[in-house]
Amino acid sequence: MRKSARKNSVLPVWIGVPGAFLVCTILASCFEAAPTTVSHTSDMSSVHTTFMPGYSQDLGVDGIGFDPMAILEDFDYGKVSTLLDGRTLREYWIVAEATTVEVAPGVYYEAWTYNGRVPGPTIRATEGDLVRIYFTNGMMHPHTMHFHGFHPAEMDGVFEPVLPGASFLYEFEAAPVGVHPYHCHIMPLASHISRGLYGTFIVDPKGGWPKVDREMVMVMSGIDLDFDNTNDLYAVNFIPFYYDKHPIQIFIGERIRIYLVNMLEFDPVNSFHLHANFFYYYPTGTSLVSAEYTDTVSQVQAQRGILEFSYQFPGKYMFHAHKTEFAELGWTGLFEVRDRP
Amino acid sequence: MKTFILFLIPVALLGVVIALFVLTGGAGLNAKPAAPIESIDFERTEMHEGTIALTIRNTGPDPLSLGYIAIRDLVATYTAKPSGPIPRMGTAIITIAYPWVRGEAYDIVLFTANAIPFSTTIGAAAETLPVSAITMLSFTLIGLYVGVLPVFLGIFWLPALRKLGPNAFTWLMALTIGLLIFLGIDAVAEAFEKQGGLGSPFQGPGLIGIGGIGAFMLLDALSKRRSLAKDDEASTNERIALRISMGIGLHNLGEGLAIGSAFMLGEANLGMFFVIGFILQNITEGLGIIAPLVKQKPSVKYLAGLGLLGGGPAIVGTWLGGLVAIPAMSVFFLALGAGAVLEVAFEIGKFIAKKSSALPFTIFSGVLSGMALLYVTGILIK
Repeated sequence: MRKSARKNSVLPVWIGVPGAFLVCTILASCFEAAPTTVSHTSDMSSVHTTFMPGYSQDLGVDGIGFDPMAILEDFDYGKVSTLLDGRTLREYWIVAEATTVEVAPGVYYEAWTYNGRVPGPTIRATEGDLVRIYFTNGMMHPHTMHFHGFHPAEMDGVFEPVLPGASFLYEFEAAPVGVHPYHCHIMPLASHISRGLYGTFIVDPKGGWPKVDREMVMVMSGIDLDFDNTNDLYAVNFIPFYYDKHPIQIFIGERIRIYLVNMLEFDPVNSFHLHANFFYYYPTGTSLVSAEYTDTVSQVQAQRGILEFSYQFPGKYMFHAHKTEFAELGWTGLFEVRDRP
Repeated sequence: MKTFILFLIPVALLGVVIALFVLTGGAGLNAKPAAPIESIDFERTEMHEGTIALTIRNTGPDPLSLGYIAIRDLVATYTAKPSGPIPRMGTAIITIAYPWVRGEAYDIVLFTANAIPFSTTIGAAAETLPVSAITMLSFTLIGLYVGVLPVFLGIFWLPALRKLGPNAFTWLMALTIGLLIFLGIDAVAEAFEKQGGLGSPFQGPGLIGIGGIGAFMLLDALSKRRSLAKDDEASTNERIALRISMGIGLHNLGEGLAIGSAFMLGEANLGMFFVIGFILQNITEGLGIIAPLVKQKPSVKYLAGLGLLGGGPAIVGTWLGGLVAIPAMSVFFLALGAGAVLEVAFEIGKFIAKKSSALPFTIFSGVLSGMALLYVTGILIK
């Protein structure tokens, strides 16, 4: 009795469950082949060819607060007058101020700026000119202007912090010839520079540089959005991808000179690579003899130089940091080369 | 009426205080954070050729606007659905254009418009399974492997166990207690681990408390209500078996949910070894279910029902996990399962304490063996 009851109760389950399981397994293995073969043979080239890094939307000058295209060729020669001794006097008025800049679509960054733009005004003088800079600090922290070049200690912008609301007159003779950075020198330095307090100071040789068709200023830098001492975005002239979305228009054969300055904080080295072309490179711009003919140059913090090149063929050509991580995080631009009209 | 008004007085006063607070803009407390407080939960990742779709939930106090997205240090274009600010507790699906490669890992950083970064990681990229009959069949099969099959295999021990004496029966019940306690501890730990990824409004620990204590108290109440009805030994044993399988079923639901969502993402470690390990571990669950029935003559239908109740929810769990899983649900179900198995352990404890006055070391060794059994089989799947 007991024995038979046991048999009756257990046997059907013993057969039924593994049976159902077996059927399911067979069914599944029949279906399995189809999806795997499809995914392996599918062509991914369409995705790869169209893929480029960048923002989902464009940034407008309104959101940015200044025009990166204008900054490119905006050289400030100052208010020019002649001193009694015959020297040229150049006067500049610069205000440090907090400026909200749209650095990615919908993302506003409080930049610290000279005259509301990053990089600050490109101060340009000729060797031997007397430069006077009337600096006013319109922010809540002390700031200075520290120029690379020759000047007395008290004009160095290190031990004379300009307090909020205060002003300071920097006065020195423009020298030496070349392209130099200027920046705030208040501690913590990395923050003050990273926030945007830097610009370019160009000292032209007496009689000028050899003639070119167009001159541009490019300051390489990063943006640390979340203040973790790591850059989240990179750019030339502060706005990531700007010259990628708005290619710089040039003509075939046009001789281009670029004043390139690296003001990148937190990362040790930056670089500039030009596509489908080579350029003459003048480190620091202190010599009229090119040091190198290349398509890639690297610069550490505050290193700078002059690049000269022209294009032979029409089309779009990238220029970007050859540290490709920087390039894909914003330090990418385009030259669009056209036939001369 | 008077009582009602008395109850209403503090409520009315509260209204006045809130109004005062709102009208005066904080009533003197000018406590605005220097940076906005934002929080995002990444709930789901779906990967198809050239795209990665993230389901995100705004778990911060205010509506949230997206800025840009960087994948592995590359700013990538994306579309958000719905576009525009995400309301508090609202979700959006962000589809990122990115030529990902199978098997590689991806760090994704999402910057909000307030420049606050949130990141998530894709451990190993793999095409997300499309929702189709084939996928559903795969899910069913997984549930069958890890839930139903092992439980039924365990049930087949019944004929062998019948041959055991009363001491062995007590030992077996103690073993079941050990199994259940181990499962309960494991589920609680997993729930707490998972809740770490939940945004603060979900109140993970509270959710676990409600799920765990809720399941425990509900089963406890059910057992007390039932015990008033019939109280012969056979029906008591059957009720205990039923509750064990209910508890184990709830536990398997949570387990299935976790496996299902992992499988959907191609993250499930479902190698042969893993599945065999699962079968080995869960076979002990079947053993636990039939332990109280050793002296009964249950019908095939009844046994099949117990097996389905204990193992079947694993299938439902994989479906839910694969198709609609949100992390908070996983946490809640894990807690529910934990509460359920622990209540059943408690119930069996009361049952054998009542029956066997002697044999303390039988119970000790039984409980410990149960826990050790799951520990050893667990080595295979952890």
